[in-house]
Amino acid sequence: MTKQKMFLRMITASLVRRRSRMLVALLAIAVGATILSGLVTIYYDVPRQMGAEFRNYGANMILVPSGNDAAFNMDAVEETLGYIKPDQLVGVAPYRYETVRIHEQPIVAAGTDMEGAKATSPYWHINGAWPDAAGDILLGQKVADQLGLKPGDTLTVSYAAEEAEPAAEPKTDAQAGETNRLDAASQAEGQEESGADEAQTTGEDYVPDASLDMMVTGILETGGSEEEYVYLSMEDLNGLTGGSDKLDVVELSVSADQSELKQYGSDIENNVDDVTPRLVKRVTESESTVLTKLQALVFLVTAVVLVLTMICVATTMTAAVTERRKEIGLRKALGASNRSIIGEFMGEGLLLGGVGGLIGAGLGFAFAQAVSMKVFNSSITFQPLLLPVTIVVSVLVAGCACLLPVKSATEVDPAVVLKGE
Amino acid sequence: MFFRMIRGAFVRQKGKMLMIALTIALGASLATAMLNVMLDVGDKINQELKTYGANITVVPKSSSVLNNLYEVEGGEEAQEAFLREDELGKIKTIFWAFNIVDFAPFIDTTADLDSGEEVRLVGTWFNHHLDLPTGEMLDTGVANLRTWWDISDGVWLDEQAESDPNAAMIGAMVARREGVGAGDTLHVKTRYGEADLKVVGVFDAGSDEDEEIYAPMDLVQALSDTDGYLTSIEVSALTTPDNELAIKAAKDPSALSVSQYETWYCTAYVSSICYQIQEVITDSVASPVRQVADSEGAILEKTEFLMVLITILSLVGSGLGICNLVTASVMERSNEIGLLKAIGAKDSAISGIVLTEIVLTGIVGAVIGYFVGFGFAQIIGHTVFGSSIEMKAMVIPIVAMLTVAVTLAGSIPAIRMLLRLRPAEVLHGR
Repeated sequence: MTKQKMFLRMITASLVRRRSRMLVALLAIAVGATILSGLVTIYYDVPRQMGAEFRNYGANMILVPSGNDAAFNMDAVEETLGYIKPDQLVGVAPYRYETVRIHEQPIVAAGTDMEGAKATSPYWHINGAWPDAAGDILLGQKVADQLGLKPGDTLTVSYAAEEAEPAAEPKTDAQAGETNRLDAASQAEGQEESGADEAQTTGEDYVPDASLDMMVTGILETGGSEEEYVYLSMEDLNGLTGGSDKLDVVELSVSADQSELKQYGSDIENNVDDVTPRLVKRVTESESTVLTKLQALVFLVTAVVLVLTMICVATTMTAAVTERRKEIGLRKALGASNRSIIGEFMGEGLLLGGVGGLIGAGLGFAFAQAVSMKVFNSSITFQPLLLPVTIVVSVLVAGCACLLPVKSATEVDPAVVLKGE
Repeated sequence: MFFRMIRGAFVRQKGKMLMIALTIALGASLATAMLNVMLDVGDKINQELKTYGANITVVPKSSSVLNNLYEVEGGEEAQEAFLREDELGKIKTIFWAFNIVDFAPFIDTTADLDSGEEVRLVGTWFNHHLDLPTGEMLDTGVANLRTWWDISDGVWLDEQAESDPNAAMIGAMVARREGVGAGDTLHVKTRYGEADLKVVGVFDAGSDEDEEIYAPMDLVQALSDTDGYLTSIEVSALTTPDNELAIKAAKDPSALSVSQYETWYCTAYVSSICYQIQEVITDSVASPVRQVADSEGAILEKTEFLMVLITILSLVGSGLGICNLVTASVMERSNEIGLLKAIGAKDSAISGIVLTEIVLTGIVGAVIGYFVGFGFAQIIGHTVFGSSIEMKAMVIPIVAMLTVAVTLAGSIPAIRMLLRLRPAEVLHGR
């Protein structure tokens, strides 16, 4: 019988004969490895998953026309979107603002793509339903209070080209429409007063160019300035105002961190002539602050749990080997060299470490997957590198844990060990 | 005799018992650290989320933009509604006063610049010092509510250190258009007066605030003839995520039953805080800023849930680890148990001795582990959040029960197995 065969036989025999204790050791390693692979997977995936949650705060990039007199339409938006990775794009909502009259009162109407608005502004509370057909309109809470309208009511929206003149500087209006919603207070007065002045002067001889009967499907409640507007589909607004397809502002919700967003911003600025991208600082800055903390939290928790677990695994392994001091003494008495004894024990430890690591890596991924599905409702990405890392760490921990007690046992006189002291 | 045997076991098997105590201490410290962090993470993340700014705005009851549209030209004083500045301190006297982190009042007006441009002039508190009727002191203002402002030139206006009453901060767009920077003066003129503003800082807010000028409250009130009045208040409050009750209450608090009302009123829902603010500020409407309030709720819930699951994993892990070691250490005492049986010890006596030893060791380990774990929790708290993690009393019984349960679960099956063996076989060594 060759030496290698004997070595293998001794290891397997020891594992098989001392089944229950080896199972204990194997279990310890597997638990440690599960925690390792599970937590590290979560650690890597949390920023991505949490980033998606942070999109609840709404748009983090807006597109406005370049220059005061410029205008842009959906073609320019399509071109812009080409610079953003499709899987990072959460929502795109184009807006066009016009002053219209409802019940003879001037009101700012926003034409948008309702699906896009739903995606970029998940925090909108709708009492009633989202508009989904032509002729449906969504009223801001304040407009609804003012006009005394509720979901299911019908109204007539009318539009006069000359009345809309003051709002025809798209930049001012775009910013009023877009960024005020980022402010807490209803700060739209500034921009709207000018529109209102105009409305009053033209109020007496108001002749609508076009009008449209619409049905109120819902009332929008946000606590911000959106409550002062009415929302209708882009097609309806374009139809009402006579065909033009210009946009005032486009909101983008992009699942990317601040540096990536800045990169997209400069790409778009350099390559697309018609639009100027602007980052919504309140959302991007705050997101990076909070996300950094969250990541640090998960990192430290992972580190603490891993260190403690690995020490725990090591003590269990040490205990399992220490109780075999007698066996070591016996082998020494029979003439085995220290090297061969250490070799055999290490072989056992490494085998246990490897098998435990493999089991743990699988269980850990399953755990991380379960966590991700439960918390974020999305599946986790498998980190292929983690499999070898988990196995190597398990083997190292198991090996180190075996080495110390075996070494101390081999250094002692076999007679003393056998006598039980 | 029983005690002597146990004492004997501890003295003679010092090393082994130490090993068990160490493992239990490790497991217990892991459990303590994770439980403490888990129970406190909601508050901590909530604090962090305050960087998004106010989650409640307070405006005068009869004010609405649509109203204002018709009142701009004349009768402004008579028609436009305002909040009263002298009531501001009352915000810190409501039931959930402790949860109000920051607030800032605003008064808006429009002003003409020398260049002929019209800008919005906003009066506010920057870092206002407030002595509350309760005797507390508070520094609050936009410096805390606009953390994302990028000061591109100059510094934040320090209200307490700044001696010039005309000091102001201007938006980046205004600065660029007017060609002014920090240290320059900017002349503004309103219907009621004019002033030379001293520009202390230029901010880049990434929104239309860049087109505005922020100046101290008193100055803007004087320039708009609205002494003692406010147009809005922004409040940043720590809140509990909404549930069914909160949603129902937000629609109409009077629809609740008495006990529901009490639960709602005494929980820090955003709607109940709004309600309480309305109670103390005359003729006001406080409404949650959905963008901030809802997102906060979602992120808080996810983070807490994530921490709960990680905690469960580490509890199960440390539990299994301890269980394992205890089983291993009981199993290796087969010789001793065989001997005890051979000299006539009853099963109950043997189990009693072994269990007492293990549980005593476990308690020692758990006590050490609790303090070590609390230390780990503080390390996490200070490194991540820069503040200590609150010591939660409920962690102690949980850790104690967990340790005892796990040690018993680890030792009982092993003891039963050993008791089933025949003494002769065991002593012979199989």
